[in-house]
Amino acid sequence: MRKEPLGIALAMAIALSFLPAASAQTKQPSKPATAENSDQAHDLSGVWFDDHPRLIRVQERYWAYTFTPDAPPMTEWAQAKFNAAKASFGPHAYPLVETTDPLYHTCAPIGFPIAYLYPLPMQIVQTPGEVILLFEWDSLRHQIFTDGRQHDTALGPLWMGDSIGHWEGDTLVADTVNFNDKTWLDRMGHPHSEALHVVERIRRIDHDHLVDDITIDDPKAYTKPWTAHLPFVLKPKWTLAEQFCEDEESFQKIDKDAAAPVK
Amino acid sequence: MRIHRFGVALALTIALSFSSKATAQSKPQTKPAATATSDQERDLSGVWFDDRPRPVTVNERYWIYKFNAEEPPMTAWGQAQYDATKSSFGTRAYPLAETNDPLYHACSPPGLPRIYLHPFPLQIVQTPGEVLVLFEYDSIRHQIFTDGRAHDTTLGPLWMGDSIGHWEGDTLVADTVNFNDKTWLDRIGHPHSDALHVVERFRRKDQTHLDLDITIEDPKAYTKPWTTHIEFGLRPKWTLQEQFCEDEESFQKLDKDAAAPAK
Repeated sequence: MRKEPLGIALAMAIALSFLPAASAQTKQPSKPATAENSDQAHDLSGVWFDDHPRLIRVQERYWAYTFTPDAPPMTEWAQAKFNAAKASFGPHAYPLVETTDPLYHTCAPIGFPIAYLYPLPMQIVQTPGEVILLFEWDSLRHQIFTDGRQHDTALGPLWMGDSIGHWEGDTLVADTVNFNDKTWLDRMGHPHSEALHVVERIRRIDHDHLVDDITIDDPKAYTKPWTAHLPFVLKPKWTLAEQFCEDEESFQKIDKDAAAPVK
Repeated sequence: MRIHRFGVALALTIALSFSSKATAQSKPQTKPAATATSDQERDLSGVWFDDRPRPVTVNERYWIYKFNAEEPPMTAWGQAQYDATKSSFGTRAYPLAETNDPLYHACSPPGLPRIYLHPFPLQIVQTPGEVLVLFEYDSIRHQIFTDGRAHDTTLGPLWMGDSIGHWEGDTLVADTVNFNDKTWLDRIGHPHSDALHVVERFRRKDQTHLDLDITIEDPKAYTKPWTTHIEFGLRPKWTLQEQFCEDEESFQKLDKDAAAPAK
């Protein structure tokens, strides 16, 4: 299943930057853009895999379906949605044929940040102006633009959101908005609205370890922001395999004519 | 629709290799990592779009549904497969509701080389050991491994095949096998079998032009190999947008309970 060739090297991308450093959204740099606070100076690239400890009981492995052991307090709107959701994961799991998880009925894109909960690797590549997260799951792509642009509301609501980032020292701070409301926030059915706002602080703490401190803010769904710490370990011999939802046995078994999924 | 962003710079990637080069599958390093001058010829990175002229009628624009104006040389098996297809393109087009194009009924991956016919941009990102072709269409990825590995037959048949590449001077030669037989070769229904063997030759002619020559070989479907030539122009201000098949109006309108597509 997993390819393990020798000799996958880490890239230090050195760019000839044609970009001006200043924009309304980024702090005015006090030094040139090619210094510590830029894409060139910080290499997040590689194939990364969830680094939570491997506990014995699968029920304790909450990170396979949600962000923290306890969710933040839900609004009434969110509670109603959560009660209606029939997840196939977690303490209130339904059999797969009864789940209303939108993924299983249509192979629709799962969205973001739920993509981090799928137990498959992700690959980070960097270009000047962009840090790209490539998820093995369903070929999903999450592009974080670091070229100084602002959010683009003209795009309309997106499955993966509209993500812009800047460097604060060695930390990539990524800010994502413009989500559609067609996805679940996690795999146990916690909801989100189009007001979802995700802020991540992504930092490579050493050669083999990456952390993403994520803040999930959605005042329509949660009465306070939800923070989680996502650890990743480098897999230097891995490359992403092909994975498409349509091939998943679980998807193929589901009766697609069954009741439409609850949003 | 198209984001025109100022200053998407081209990256020159210089690799610091941490891995041993001496394996059976990779050539030993005889000189230091490539210098900026030689990488200039090998830098394929950027956002690219099909640059062929735009004639007036969409039927003249055959390259959005097939590779060459003339028919490829099909075997009897190939011809029979082709005759059974009902494409929504070309001179014998069926209404969308009657098409048996596998893509339309299930949003299944288009496969390779069909992906090149979908009129959306692509982005090439290079890392040591890999040339990644990221397609805007449906988030499809074409990973061309340049780390010296051989094809991996343990993977089983893949939608996008299993691609390995090497450089011949300034040309990236990518060799792809291990295809499944669930896709059409193009958008008008020309067939392929799982014996399909695709060779792509990428060459950046100059800063803003990329040539791609594709050789299609499939002795079950075609009596001899045949080739096609695609020209791409750089789009320095573009970035890839989100595009998912499930959102396409054409997919949503289709009656998904209609007869299963012919292969």
